[in-house]
Amino acid sequence: MSAPKVIVISSDDEKFPVDPKVAEKSLLMKNMINDLNPDGLQEDFEIPTPNVRANVLAKVLEWCEHHKNTIFPDDDDDDARKSAPVEEWDKNFLKVDQEMLYEIMLAANYLNIRPLLDAGCKMVAEMIKGKSPEELRRIFNIVNDFSPEEEAAIRRENEWAEDR
Amino acid sequence: MSSPNSIEDDSNGSASNSIRPASPSKSRDDSRSDPISKNNAKNDNSTYSHPYRRHHDSEFLMDNEYTDFREVRDAIITNRRLSEAAHSHSIETIIDKTSLLRLPTEVLLQVFHHLDRKDLFNLLTVCQEFADLIIEILWFRPNMQNDSSFKKIKDIMQLPSSKTHWDYRQFIKRLNLSFMTKLVDDELLSLFIGCPKLERLTLVNCTKLTRNPITQVLHNCEKLQSIDLTGVTDIHDDIINALARNCVRLQGLYAPGCGNVSEEAILNLLESCPMLKRVKFNNSNNISDESILKMYDNCKSLVEIDLHNCPKVTDKYLKKIFLDLSQLREFRISNAPGITDKLFELLPEGFYLEKLRIIDISGCNAITDKLVEKLVLCAPRLRNVVLSKCIQISDASLRALSQLGRSLHYIHLGHCGLITDFGVASLVRACHRIQYIDLACCSQLTDWTLVELANLPKLRRIGLVKCSLITDSGILELVRRRGEQDCLERVHLSYCTNLTIGPIYLLLKSCPKLTHLSLTGISSFLRREITQYCRDPPPDFTEMQKAQFCVFSGNGVNQLRNYLNQVMEERAYSIDQGEIQALFMERRRRQINADVDMDDEEMNIWVRRGLGLLQQDATEPQNPEMVEINREIFRELNEGNMTPEEMRDYFMRLIRNRHHTRIFEHQQQRIEQQVQPIRPPRNPQNAPQITQPPVFPSDDQNIPSLADDEDDVDMEPLFPRNPPA
Repeated sequence: MSAPKVIVISSDDEKFPVDPKVAEKSLLMKNMINDLNPDGLQEDFEIPTPNVRANVLAKVLEWCEHHKNTIFPDDDDDDARKSAPVEEWDKNFLKVDQEMLYEIMLAANYLNIRPLLDAGCKMVAEMIKGKSPEELRRIFNIVNDFSPEEEAAIRRENEWAEDR
Repeated sequence: MSSPNSIEDDSNGSASNSIRPASPSKSRDDSRSDPISKNNAKNDNSTYSHPYRRHHDSEFLMDNEYTDFREVRDAIITNRRLSEAAHSHSIETIIDKTSLLRLPTEVLLQVFHHLDRKDLFNLLTVCQEFADLIIEILWFRPNMQNDSSFKKIKDIMQLPSSKTHWDYRQFIKRLNLSFMTKLVDDELLSLFIGCPKLERLTLVNCTKLTRNPITQVLHNCEKLQSIDLTGVTDIHDDIINALARNCVRLQGLYAPGCGNVSEEAILNLLESCPMLKRVKFNNSNNISDESILKMYDNCKSLVEIDLHNCPKVTDKYLKKIFLDLSQLREFRISNAPGITDKLFELLPEGFYLEKLRIIDISGCNAITDKLVEKLVLCAPRLRNVVLSKCIQISDASLRALSQLGRSLHYIHLGHCGLITDFGVASLVRACHRIQYIDLACCSQLTDWTLVELANLPKLRRIGLVKCSLITDSGILELVRRRGEQDCLERVHLSYCTNLTIGPIYLLLKSCPKLTHLSLTGISSFLRREITQYCRDPPPDFTEMQKAQFCVFSGNGVNQLRNYLNQVMEERAYSIDQGEIQALFMERRRRQINADVDMDDEEMNIWVRRGLGLLQQDATEPQNPEMVEINREIFRELNEGNMTPEEMRDYFMRLIRNRHHTRIFEHQQQRIEQQVQPIRPPRNPQNAPQITQPPVFPSDDQNIPSLADDEDDVDMEPLFPRNPPA
């Protein structure tokens, strides 16, 4: 019998059998595997992910597969995590439409895959940098719910934040 | 199951959405039953928050910008969780799938973490949802670090809160006014009266402030964790009592200038604030053993006690503190005659002050080597030890301290006049990680100490003020042994009166990170060419003191280095007048002929000055005597058969002999050169065009001028340029 697999099940009931090593990129799945199999994985182990759809899950697992041997900075090392640049492969991997990008980030957040979430956050931050409020609303599809007077007052009162 | 492309629509609910502020999915969260989500939530906490809190709890820091992001994030998320029900707008149902607003608060905060203030400012007015988050981030710590933003914030704070979009005072948790202290007065601080969530107030060096506005700002600050009043002069009972009354959660209080505060007020504070972790009360004649007893009884979590210059304090209750407050990390007291060798007497054998890292008992004259020996046994992980002006301390203490080994990073032994090179040697050989060592006024120390200090790979600061036995040879040996690209940053050599310019030049050359060099009171340096790069003396110095002052810092060090570099490249430095003049002429000739490599030339000058010690391997492979001398010195050092005195004499004799040999050789060389044909210029375009370069010109006219001859006039006093008569 071949080595036991982890079978990740998407919200729309699609099954993704992967190496435990790949699944363990998700701290959530890693903890489940370890908690429920204290003696190590003996047979295939199913993990439902009830709020991740198949197309997103496929992307996320593709990322996990690619990075199964990557060592990432410690989760608690905010500084190292913040300063690490997004690597080229991840950049290309995350070149998807915004809806998919957010879904990947939501899934990474839910499955607790910090490096993937970090990369997503950095991509979004890059999209924000250097833009005016109007541009930001357009890019991110946000409706302005301030009156022009309110907006002017807020900008005036917080002008100091513009200084370096 | 659910419509494609949607996580929100999923009927099982989602953990990632559960902390959305305006989540209409509250009921779904409550009824959530899948084990993964619960697991996730639990896991989230344990992975991200706990290690940080653990660190924070054990080592409370006064005001640490580094933790801002985590704290603001934790606070916002906690708030949102608590007030989830209160938020009633239902953005989520109408959010477009491609909108950034889909992301939950914690992820949005993660995104914002990568943005600077200016980008946050642009996001601020995008929509209310963002504004609510960002306004808390921006005002968590209002930036008062430069003129412009200082003034803008001041203008906004001057408006009545009813006239602004938010009452910004409710967001301020960290207030640090110590960047623009000249602009901070009572009027300014009064603008911040009524910040109910203030956690940290830093007023370092705000010397204009008086007690009233400080007392008022503290009113109702029940969340205040730390207040730093370092440099504030008007520290009064009112302030201390206001802290006791309002700030029961106070963990850090730095009030070094508390000389006018009554002991009664301090007792009141210690009674009211049992969470205190760091206290600094300096320069007080009021604080006595009563306060120590109160600390012992009531403040069981103290990690730092600083009682510099509190002469009435004795070891009576401090003994108990050392026995009972096992988390104590830093302890400082000075000039207290009541501190004796009994300070640690209650500690049983085998008892360890495992957390103690910093101890400073300077100027406590009663202590002897016995205390230090006990201290080292009890606190094996000490990192900083300050024993300056403990005048009874001798080499025995240094031998004891050597048992700290790699733990010891910082040692101050200034004015411990009994210590000798032997003590320093035993300490330095055992404690490789020393970064900071101060041996000021240890007047028995000699060049041997410098040779020992050369072995400390991480050394960043050396203090040897008034170690007047130190000579050029010691500095040269230090430089030679430490090598190039040395990590030294600060070197204090004031009143080491034997020193001259040459070795200091080499020190500057080999220490690119040097930011401070003090050479006050050394006659060789008190000349205009050198002191022009020196920092201004403190205004309260007398004329006499000002005339002696010679301290280089920051860019002054670089300027001095550049200046000496330039001078050394241009000319030889004179010690032996006759010899150097000949050298100078020869060098000029060679420069004209363009047949000399600058570095070589410079080295040669040193070699001829008898300082061949410096580069026996690289430039003078044909110099076996020098290699031999070095080997000899090494052997002596390692075997340690000689007293420092003998060693220095021996050392000097070897160098002197070597020097004479070199002069003789050089003269020989010169005679040979005269016979040799003169080579044509290697680089005729750049070299002055001369048909017959004179080898030994009989007068100035025969030497073609160099391009930068004007400079020579300025350097006249320092470097001779007269040709040999």
